[in-house]
Amino acid sequence: MSYFDHSATTPIHPLVLEIMNSISEAHFGNPSSIHTSGRKSRSIIESSRRIIAKSIQASPNEVIFTGSGTEANNSVLWSLIYENNKHVITSSIEHPAILKVLDSIAPFGVTYTKLPVNKFGEVNPKNLEEAIKEDTGLISIMMVNNEVGTINPINDLIKIAEEKNIPFHSDAVQALGKTPLSVKDVGADYLSFSGHKFYGPKGVGFLYKKNEAKLNPLIIGGGQESQFRAGTENVSGIVGLAEAVRLSIQNLDKRILHLEKLESEFKAKLSHHSSNVIFNGHPKKHVPGVISASFLGKRSDILLAELDREGIEVSSGSACGSGLVKPSFVLEEMGISESQNTSTIRISFGRSNTIEDVSTLVNALVKFTNV
Amino acid sequence: MSDTVVVGMSGGVDSSVTAKILKDQGYNVECVFMKNWEGDDENCNAEEDYKDALSVCDHLDIPLRSVNFSNEYWEKVFQYFIDEYARGRTPNPDVLCNREVKFKAFLDYAFDLGAVKIATGHYAQIVEYKDEFQLLKGLDKNKDQSYFLYLLGQNELSKSMFPIGNIDKTKVRKLAENSGLINHAKKDSTGVCFIGEQKFFKEFLKRYIPVKPGLMQTIDGKVCGEHDGLMYYTMGQRKGLGIGGGHGFKEAPWFVADKDLINNILIVAQGHDHPSLFHQELEADQIHWINEAPLNSLENISAKIRYRQNDQPCNITELSMNNCKVKFKEPQFAITPGQSIVFYIDNRCVGGAIIDKRF
Repeated sequence: MSYFDHSATTPIHPLVLEIMNSISEAHFGNPSSIHTSGRKSRSIIESSRRIIAKSIQASPNEVIFTGSGTEANNSVLWSLIYENNKHVITSSIEHPAILKVLDSIAPFGVTYTKLPVNKFGEVNPKNLEEAIKEDTGLISIMMVNNEVGTINPINDLIKIAEEKNIPFHSDAVQALGKTPLSVKDVGADYLSFSGHKFYGPKGVGFLYKKNEAKLNPLIIGGGQESQFRAGTENVSGIVGLAEAVRLSIQNLDKRILHLEKLESEFKAKLSHHSSNVIFNGHPKKHVPGVISASFLGKRSDILLAELDREGIEVSSGSACGSGLVKPSFVLEEMGISESQNTSTIRISFGRSNTIEDVSTLVNALVKFTNV
Repeated sequence: MSDTVVVGMSGGVDSSVTAKILKDQGYNVECVFMKNWEGDDENCNAEEDYKDALSVCDHLDIPLRSVNFSNEYWEKVFQYFIDEYARGRTPNPDVLCNREVKFKAFLDYAFDLGAVKIATGHYAQIVEYKDEFQLLKGLDKNKDQSYFLYLLGQNELSKSMFPIGNIDKTKVRKLAENSGLINHAKKDSTGVCFIGEQKFFKEFLKRYIPVKPGLMQTIDGKVCGEHDGLMYYTMGQRKGLGIGGGHGFKEAPWFVADKDLINNILIVAQGHDHPSLFHQELEADQIHWINEAPLNSLENISAKIRYRQNDQPCNITELSMNNCKVKFKEPQFAITPGQSIVFYIDNRCVGGAIIDKRF
């Protein structure tokens, strides 16, 4: 099997798996219990929190564990229903874990403005400035788009938010492990992350919340996570998450270099052999290894099936949901024609892919798409 | 590599066993799940069905792909469905869905995927006879679905397989159970696929067609109540008329006998055997023959005017390219404009048409 769908999810890193297994075997205590077993689990969680905080230059109390990146997004958005300023500014190519949530909280008085993107999938800071209203209570703009990999000018956007004193959230699920990420440099009030996007376990993520930023809890119960997220902690998941963050940051330069190499090799080879390929997204400002490629005249669902038969796994549009093919709204918002849209696939390389894999992929693509 | 057959997989027991049988026969089987209806209708089980399809395919080690034909369905099937109801008729969307979606959009898609044939879990049989493809009834007389397939032609039949057409439904379920398929006991789907159960029907139609309530009259013109809109009623309908005692002489139930579309009046008759509920002749249009028109047999053909009716002997008395007149040997209960009349010679489905008028 050749797997090129790392933006959908990544295989768990062997070191992550090892530490998770050993923790699961040795420590079952409820972190809220005050006896020895409980205290041990608590200590493991807190040390995981410190590892993550250190990796992204945050304070440990700024890290809130959640069940997913989606949950982190939901926490920040639902929190608004208790606030006075209920207008949100977002972008038109956010993940459904932002856009659908905003529709869901409309009955609570939350309104929103969707900023357009240019043909590369970037938000223009000027548009943000113009969209700010008196009751704007949150700006939520993704750091990296999941379908095309384009990186938003997040610093410029945050500067505007700071000037107007509006809290800023960014869905950074696609960013960690592919681009340097220090919360000090970013300056956002909230950032969402998901473990399985960077070789960690599924079902665990975290929200970075700046100390002074406000948050009303989404999940209420036993008061875990400093009242911000109730529910008995997923101890081994949290340990795995921390290890995955640590490995991502520790090996970041190496990983980026590797992905860049695969990407440039892939693009060069494919362009050489294919006459009908177009690459979408920003040519420079994008995370390495994520490629949105359109093969004019070839329907992506057929191409996906043909590749699947050869054991080659890529995706089209967004991989979430029930697995039904639809034109991607992200590409639509970027002004890409429907015919190009439905002939687009996403290739996302990962740490285990090799130059040989790239050849396999290019050969298969050429075989199935050259008309 | 062996021939690729693409199975239309609904997540139900019939299509699952279809896939299993073909795989056992050595075909290279792939399954495709069709989503033909958009929206989060609480009545639409597409997501649950998809999960079942996925589990079955995983169990059988068959790849499952998905495709969305909701545009095709909306334009070619649903618009017609609504237009017909707006005209006070009772259409049969499944017949059209087969022609426009399953045996057109899906068939094309399957061939794009590299199929040499498609297969579905229909209870019907295809035989090749003297260089022609014939459509035969399913072996299980209770489940026979040839009625819904009469709009297929030579092209479609030549590219299709119905592997469970010669098996009894009970045996199909047994096969499913023995093969460990999780859906072996799953309930058969009933009703119109995008509406779900009958009880949702009124609510559903209301969303698309303006409601025009009016009067209900007996055959002799006596007002006996009000109706909620002619589109909600179908010929021969008994339930939901809301007529209590007092109007008739006996306590026999009332039935929908006719619709006066011009004056928006629903005409009802008392007693199942009331003569106004029976007609012996009808006119039908949009005629389609699976093979050539069976001109030698026009006088001893039989027909079904609804699914699950025994074949009724009849003559086709006049026939043009598009229309025909049919005279039954016996008067027929509740002949319903908009429904399909499907013609048979013995076991063979030869074609059909859409009922327009009855006399």
